[in-house]
Amino acid sequence: MRVYQFRHIRWRAASVATPRTRLGRPHRRSRSGLTDRYHARVRERIQQLLEGAFPQAEQVEVVDRTGGGDHFEVIVHDEVFNGLSRIEQHKLIYAALDEPWKQGSIHELRINTKGTA
Amino acid sequence: MSYSDKIKEVLDTSDVALFMKGTPDAIMCGNSERALGALRRAGAPITAVDILADGQIREDLSAISGWPTIPQVFVKGELVGGADIVEELERSGELEQTLVAKLGDNYWEARGEKTVSLT
Repeated sequence: MRVYQFRHIRWRAASVATPRTRLGRPHRRSRSGLTDRYHARVRERIQQLLEGAFPQAEQVEVVDRTGGGDHFEVIVHDEVFNGLSRIEQHKLIYAALDEPWKQGSIHELRINTKGTA
Repeated sequence: MSYSDKIKEVLDTSDVALFMKGTPDAIMCGNSERALGALRRAGAPITAVDILADGQIREDLSAISGWPTIPQVFVKGELVGGADIVEELERSGELEQTLVAKLGDNYWEARGEKTVSLT
């Protein structure tokens, strides 16, 4: 079962907190719909890669922390993390996200992993 | 001496090594700040290395540690984690436990910060 609750709310909260320029425009966010769609695609690609790498996960959630499409938090709760050190858990996440990582589309990644025990 | 050798030397000779963006006096990244803050609150004896001094440092460091992001915290040469893990360890009390286990009961007597330049 995947839990998507709160995602929408968190997205909106993050957008509100986005730093603004002097002109009152969001700082990191482009006004062009094209850029917004690209940002959404990066987030969706991360979600897709994680779901592929952790098909049995109880929860896979990707949060765009700033609305800028390159600062993400990923939350993955999966049985495979049981008994692994935090280092090993996070390395599995990095391995799953090798592609966007190499492409440079992730500037910052916060990782929240948990086993099911 | 290559950066790899210098990094290994830092890992071999430091109780707590923090590879960060900037220095403790001029922090260049919020995540480096998070890791530094947790180590400071734990009273760790910190040896800080600025990876921004040369792009090659970061590449060589990640090749050694197998960890792609900055900051990276090592205790007695062993990777403990980045900002997320170090903060998580601090919250659970495991950070202090790790420092006690690896550095001894009175590790905090040596608390403080020094910065090492690899360039």
